[in-house]
Amino acid sequence: MTPLIRTPRSLQGRLLLLVLSGVALVWLVTAALTWFDVRHELDELLDGHLAQAAALLVLQQGGEVENEGRGIDAPMLHRYAPRVAFQVFHEGRLALRSANAPAGPMAGAGPPFAAGFRTVQIEGLAWRVFAAQGAERDVQVYVGEQIGSRGAILRAVLRSTLWPMAVALPLLVLAVGWAVHRGVQPIRRLGRSLAERQPQALHPVAFGDLPAEMLPMIDALNGLFERIALLLQSERRFTADAAHELRTPIAAIRMQAQVAMGEADGARRQHALQGMLEGCDRAARLVEQLLSLSRLEAAEMVQAPAMAAVDLRALARRVVAELAPRAIGKRQALAFEGDTPCTLPGNETLLAVLVRNLVDNAVRYSPAGARIRVAVRPEDGQAALQVEDSGPGLAEADRQRLGERFFRVAGSEESGSGLGWSIVRRIAAVHGLALEVGPSTALGGLSVRVVHENCPDRAGA
Amino acid sequence: MRILLAEDDSLLGDGLRAGLRQLGFLVDWVRDGEAAERELRAQPYEAAVLDLGLPRKDGLAVLEAIRRAGVKTPVLVLTARDAVPDRIRGLDLGADDYVVKPVDLHELAARLRALVRRAHGQPQECLSVRDVVLNPAARSVRRAGEPVALSAREFDLLQAFMLGADRVLSREQLEQQLYSWGQEVDSNAIEVHIHNLRRKLGATLIHTVRGVGYMLQRDAPPP
Repeated sequence: MTPLIRTPRSLQGRLLLLVLSGVALVWLVTAALTWFDVRHELDELLDGHLAQAAALLVLQQGGEVENEGRGIDAPMLHRYAPRVAFQVFHEGRLALRSANAPAGPMAGAGPPFAAGFRTVQIEGLAWRVFAAQGAERDVQVYVGEQIGSRGAILRAVLRSTLWPMAVALPLLVLAVGWAVHRGVQPIRRLGRSLAERQPQALHPVAFGDLPAEMLPMIDALNGLFERIALLLQSERRFTADAAHELRTPIAAIRMQAQVAMGEADGARRQHALQGMLEGCDRAARLVEQLLSLSRLEAAEMVQAPAMAAVDLRALARRVVAELAPRAIGKRQALAFEGDTPCTLPGNETLLAVLVRNLVDNAVRYSPAGARIRVAVRPEDGQAALQVEDSGPGLAEADRQRLGERFFRVAGSEESGSGLGWSIVRRIAAVHGLALEVGPSTALGGLSVRVVHENCPDRAGA
Repeated sequence: MRILLAEDDSLLGDGLRAGLRQLGFLVDWVRDGEAAERELRAQPYEAAVLDLGLPRKDGLAVLEAIRRAGVKTPVLVLTARDAVPDRIRGLDLGADDYVVKPVDLHELAARLRALVRRAHGQPQECLSVRDVVLNPAARSVRRAGEPVALSAREFDLLQAFMLGADRVLSREQLEQQLYSWGQEVDSNAIEVHIHNLRRKLGATLIHTVRGVGYMLQRDAPPP
């Protein structure tokens, strides 16, 4: 269903339409009220005149009924006179009348005589007639007036009300149009300045002379600019960090390649070539981690990852099976514990990355022959995961800094990017999981527990 | 030439050590800032390659500390930080050169040789004393234009003498210049090498200062 008048898209058009239709409506209502009021007053006034004229005629007739033969037609004295007529009857005879009055009484159809006002048709015209009679009932007076003349007066009054409106409306259109145009000027200016902005110009919009109604919008816009600037800044920092971090493995690959090229000894060349391969693996792993971290951040900012009920026990067991060959290669005892299925709402892919990172860290940073235990069990009705090892553990200061991008524990022989913990932290945050890092009471090394944030025993841990 | 390498990345450190060794440097490798500072203060290295992002003590802090302690060893900063303010800060704190990773092995070696030369007030590429000319880059020695075949140790010893010409060097100093960590030092190895050098380059080049050490004399003694 389309409305009769489509609301204009432009603020200017909308204001113009509203103001003008409002003004026109008020004017028309005023004209209508004036019409009714004037008609009422006019009727009262003219009826009063008719009654008074009739009374005069009745009084006058008392002394002049004998003037027979002198002619009964009174002279015309005014240009309105043809529209007014009177008749005086004396004892049933027409004694006096105005020139335009008919011969018969202006009583119309109905009873022969009734005092008071009535409206009658005479020769096709509507007349307002007042009838009166003398005290002895021998004199009857009719005073009439064409109703059409009242209409003419009314129309004249109405014309004088409506004419100025007809003239004023176009002027009003111009005036309102100009005023609205001036009023929306700041909005237009704002639009232009926003359109001309460079994409990287994220400084806030100045309030300046903008109307107060627009301040909430400008505030929201500035808030958005600020958030975009923050996002951009973190992206830039991330790119710079990533580039820096990639420099070291690339430098290592290059160095090992040059060593291999210049090495005559077969075993040493083999060692350098092995180093090149290791460097490539490291760079690839770093790129992999950077990508998953940036994907995670993007996902967090754009939309939440798809969540479903995930069987944590099955997932952890799968990850342990995946990493077992590495642990066996280091002669480590990697064990999995989990008697009851534990589900938690989450994204299976992300949770697998989290568990893999934790177990991988344990394998990586525990020495050969170490024991590593991965356990999944319900705690207070929530699924909890614990990864423990018998490795060297972590100093309190280092524990504090875990998860800082590219932070690496000093003196660790293993090559790492320091990104694994950043990834783990983010995934935990997305899932509302808390990470508890501390010494392992069972194995003596490091213990990492992943529990639900609202777990009541969190404070005690 | 014995240098200290301070690099925490195991793969890069391993490559740098192997590569620089190929090019004739004696390389001691430390993996953290505290060890780097300790070694630089304790040993007379010809030069040091210092990574900035070192654990325990940041490379710049190490640099500041050793310069304040009066260590004059030329330091080449090798880092992933390439922002201009970082470079300026590094150079202001006493770095002699600033190289951004990744670096070419030969360029790094050339820069180190240049640093060592400059530290000894010798701007030319080759060291020369009398009719002996030593080319550190090519690791070659000529006497009166004729090539002289020297073993690696003899070459290093001659380079140490030529860099410290007209100064008496003790046997301990020479040993420190000649052997990196973990290398066994024979009790009379220095004497054997000096004997060989005298045989190949003339008896008057290196003097024995009894009870103190040895000295290479720049000017030939009057006949």
